[in-house]
Amino acid sequence: MTLASIAVEELLLVLKIAFVVLLYLFIWRIVRTASKDLRVPQESFILAPSQAGDLATLRDPGPREVGRLVVVSSPTLEPGEGRMLDSVAITVGRGPQNDVALDGDDYASAKHARIEPRGDGVWVKDVGSTNGTYLNGIKLTRARKLTPGDVVRVGETELRYET
Amino acid sequence: MSLRNRELLNLVVVGALTALGFASVYIARQSVVSTASLSYAAFFLALYLVAHLVARYAVPYADPYLLPIAALLTAVGLTEIYRIRPGDAFRQGVWIIIAVGVFAGTLWSLRRDYRRLESYKYIFGLTAIGLLVLPALPGLGATVNGARLWIHFGSLQFQPGEIAKLCLIVFLAAYLREKREVLAQGRLKDFGPLLLIWGGAMLVLVETNDLGSALLYFGIFLAMLYVATGRLLFTGIGLALFLGGSYFVYTRVAHVHERVTIWLHPWTDHKVYCALTGEMKLRQDCGSYQLVKSLYSIANGGFGGTGLGKETLETSAGHPLIPSLNTDFIYSALAQGLGLIGVSALVLLFMVFVLRGMRIALLADDGFSKLAGAGLTFGFALQTFIIVGGVLRIIPLTGITLPFVSYGGSSVVANFVLLAGLLLISNRANAPREA
Repeated sequence: MTLASIAVEELLLVLKIAFVVLLYLFIWRIVRTASKDLRVPQESFILAPSQAGDLATLRDPGPREVGRLVVVSSPTLEPGEGRMLDSVAITVGRGPQNDVALDGDDYASAKHARIEPRGDGVWVKDVGSTNGTYLNGIKLTRARKLTPGDVVRVGETELRYET
Repeated sequence: MSLRNRELLNLVVVGALTALGFASVYIARQSVVSTASLSYAAFFLALYLVAHLVARYAVPYADPYLLPIAALLTAVGLTEIYRIRPGDAFRQGVWIIIAVGVFAGTLWSLRRDYRRLESYKYIFGLTAIGLLVLPALPGLGATVNGARLWIHFGSLQFQPGEIAKLCLIVFLAAYLREKREVLAQGRLKDFGPLLLIWGGAMLVLVETNDLGSALLYFGIFLAMLYVATGRLLFTGIGLALFLGGSYFVYTRVAHVHERVTIWLHPWTDHKVYCALTGEMKLRQDCGSYQLVKSLYSIANGGFGGTGLGKETLETSAGHPLIPSLNTDFIYSALAQGLGLIGVSALVLLFMVFVLRGMRIALLADDGFSKLAGAGLTFGFALQTFIIVGGVLRIIPLTGITLPFVSYGGSSVVANFVLLAGLLLISNRANAPREA
């Protein structure tokens, strides 16, 4: 009887130690492998401005400002001039039928570019211009999503997208 | 190794830990407990494998550590509940099955885009208040330990406040996401709906004497407001209001006054008036009985603990030493069984969970996910702090459950929904982007 009870005591001690050791190994494993994560998160918890308006257009198709186009430099428009973007696409080009008409910009085509607010943000695409549309100095080959601060160049006119 | 395989491996380790814990309780209490107890561990592993398979399909890119940690916490909790009262462990087991079912359902139904919840924010806000009011309705509510927090349908008891917390976080995340810019400017009118819903929730909590939850909701609100606006001033004002309000209720409300007195002076060497029995008694035999016995229990564990199953939790006559041991005070039972070293590991587990949650909030790249992630994680952290801090006499004790560990169906279900929310947010943040 005493022998059996001693064995039980020892067994319980072994179980107790095994439990604690395994528990710490588990935590150690998590902390170690987690520190090798590839993606580094951004540094602040506080919402960045770009994270605010994400779903606005998706949920509510009514007119709502999703951003602005501000003229940085242009042979024909005043720098600092802005145009509000709502859910309707706008066109940019030399012809007077465009929403942003650049009638003095000789390097712009009649129908040059299109800026489209979509569900997931505002996109820019070239609509068959001669000289191409540039996003941050890179020529567009397909539609691109704009992030605030991006500069779109049409002919000699530079427009900055802001929210 | 893929994220989900990592999760699977962690779950296997958790299964081994569960088996060790149950074996220990079983061997130590052979005379009381049946052989069937070991099947708990096997059953547990199977249950979490099901949860894992759902996660594998619904949220393939989600964080691989949260589910195993939650599994381990519930397993440790269930082991201790089994030690305290085997009958409760069975009920808790049933609740965990329901919780895993709700967890799977949440993941499944929201796997495409949980952000559509944002459109229903006012419904969530009002639901939160509705749920909080439910227990106060006559015929439906039940008063337990001086707080009216439960509703019961027949023999089933439910604490709707736990679900209300999640609804409120969804409301706050959606509202703050939409209005953050105008809020940051401090225009009072934009605070209207926010203060109305949140103030309503606070009012209900204070009315029903649920101080722990009131503290929790207040903290969640301040944290999310800070994440949304980045203005320390609001947090400062909030803290000042909190301190002022606390002092006010401390001086006016007898219930609160007593809690603080118990916290500051649990032991007396002369007899004081005991409100519970109306006699003169030492305070440790009256108001602070529970807290003092819990401190003795923790001290009895020492550094290495008595071992799971060998804790002293009953008087020699077989009556439980500490009231509500398996809910509010489960930490002190675990502290005795596992000792300082084991219970530190438990606290570490909570910390790693919070760490992963915060990381998810940092990685999330849209406002709603970030706010919801931060709110859920902060709520989890604060709730743990409030109850562990209360049991350890760091802050005044307010009854609230220890997430995943405590006995209580609504708490387990709500925490699994919280887990599902974090996994969904994490899945979205980690998923490869289509160009």
